[in-house]
Amino acid sequence: MEAAVAASALRRTYERRRKDTVVALDDLTLTIDRNEIHGLLGPNGAGKTTLVKILSTVLLPTSGTARVLGHDVVAETGAVRSLVGLVLGGDRGLYDRLTARRNLLFWGALYKLDARTVRLRADALLERVGLADRADDPVERFSRGMRQRLHLARGLLHEPRVLFLDEPTSGLDPVAATAFRRLVLDLRDEGRTFLLATHDMDEATALCDRVSLIDRGRLLLTDDTANMGRILGDRECVDFTHDDTAPEPTARAGSLAEALALLPEVTDVERLGDRWRVHTTDRAGSRRVLAWLIERDVLTARHARPTLEEVYLRTVGDRGLRV
Amino acid sequence: MTSSNERRPLAARRVPLARRASVMWRVSLVWRVSLVWRAFRLQTVLSRRSPSHALILLVAPMQTTSLLALTLHAHRPDAVASAVIAPGLIGLWVSSLDYAGRVVPEDQWAGRFTPMVAAPVPLALVVVGRVAAVVLVGVLAFAESWLVAALGFGRVLTVRSPGVFVLAIAATCLASVGTAMLLAGVISLSRARDVLQNSLSYPFYMLGGVVFPLTVLPSWVRPLSHLVFLSWSARLLRDAVHGTAHGGPLALALAAILALGAAALAGGMWLTRRLVDAARRDGTVGYA
Repeated sequence: MEAAVAASALRRTYERRRKDTVVALDDLTLTIDRNEIHGLLGPNGAGKTTLVKILSTVLLPTSGTARVLGHDVVAETGAVRSLVGLVLGGDRGLYDRLTARRNLLFWGALYKLDARTVRLRADALLERVGLADRADDPVERFSRGMRQRLHLARGLLHEPRVLFLDEPTSGLDPVAATAFRRLVLDLRDEGRTFLLATHDMDEATALCDRVSLIDRGRLLLTDDTANMGRILGDRECVDFTHDDTAPEPTARAGSLAEALALLPEVTDVERLGDRWRVHTTDRAGSRRVLAWLIERDVLTARHARPTLEEVYLRTVGDRGLRV
Repeated sequence: MTSSNERRPLAARRVPLARRASVMWRVSLVWRVSLVWRAFRLQTVLSRRSPSHALILLVAPMQTTSLLALTLHAHRPDAVASAVIAPGLIGLWVSSLDYAGRVVPEDQWAGRFTPMVAAPVPLALVVVGRVAAVVLVGVLAFAESWLVAALGFGRVLTVRSPGVFVLAIAATCLASVGTAMLLAGVISLSRARDVLQNSLSYPFYMLGGVVFPLTVLPSWVRPLSHLVFLSWSARLLRDAVHGTAHGGPLALALAAILALGAAALAGGMWLTRRLVDAARRDGTVGYA
């Protein structure tokens, strides 16, 4: 069966000034299976949005090929556009002075839906994204979360089989983000394929079957989300946090860390924000470290494996605010 | 019993190619017309909620007042028709230039251009529907101008050839939509949008003979006016008022207005397609 998305040696460059070429995508090859939720992770300027734009036909690649459900994004633009939905994050992109319903009625016309069909679908989608009660309110009165849900409803109007979501939950509160993710999972169960460009590691972990890390336009790695921790090796770790009720908790945790580093089963101890990570030689070593910590009244400790966020940080590197 | 049709080979039972092409063309035409109409309705609602789009309707009565005051002060009753018709034509031109020219840039500023380009329909059809709605607001300036002359100055402008007048207004509206489409394309592609919008009024009022007769212009300028539909419209509307539009000159004027409008429409649609192609090629679809 044809893959939902197949990009091969996809390259996109921009001429910034004379003889100054910026490479946004660098011979990227990627395959996304049908009915998959695929996460696209990378820092700002990594090329995530460039890839989404090429696949949704709003940007032409400089070279390489990309096919969506077997259709070439350059040669068969019309066919691709009918099959994909593009959901961009942010407050913009809608007619603010129109109601949610009227927005959908207009955008439905752009997908060649007749008035009756688009009216029925708009009502059903507004219900589904939880906006039925606000369907006749102008969008300018909507919160960011409501706008995001309306963006998703717009992207679903023509019942696309592949959806490209670019930062769909940025700025959403946790409850709205969770509801949004549940909706994406429901839609996947209906047979749709998703490419989700995001910075949110929790979101990628919760939603994606597979993730790809890209940086400076290059694909760094692609793997099952569950297997991502193995990228850093089958390392055993124990995480603990200092006891907030103890006197001078940070200093105490620091001295514990120094003591832990001297144990034979400990290979390294590092600080990760407000917690400490103890790298051990093996599972038995982790057990002994956990027991050692409990004996010293550390009650917040757990056996851990590298998270997607750690894989991301170690693969992409900590570059601060640089892009 | 097996029918003769079922015994025929599959290829022979297929709908003839010409008929299929005809059906597909009709389906294609139906959704295109439907798209233009829905874009027209969208713009109607947007304009109702954007009072700035009706600004021309506030300005037109003042223009009529100024022009009529000058005409009457100069004891030129023969120029009353020009003074009443000019604000209507100016209204159409302002709608085309100022408001229709903003349709695409406003979508770009508001981040709507990207999802529009991602849709499987030509953007030009959406723009045609929207500029048509914007331009037709300008038509109301004709009625306002007539009312100001009648109620404010007691000068009821009698149209001696009402049929020709209606035809001239209809042709002028169509040409305005075509021209607005061209201007929308030019302004959207230009890096100097504001400069263009601010500078394209008076040259066309002059070349269109909207405010004064073309005969007062230098002779070498006059041929240029034939390329401006307003010049044909202004003359035809005045002739309809005076009852002097007949036969060949009437047909020529109508044909010229419609031909110039159609050429502008084709140019505008081509420019809009070029705008989308260039944005996809240069990676500027998301730019404002």
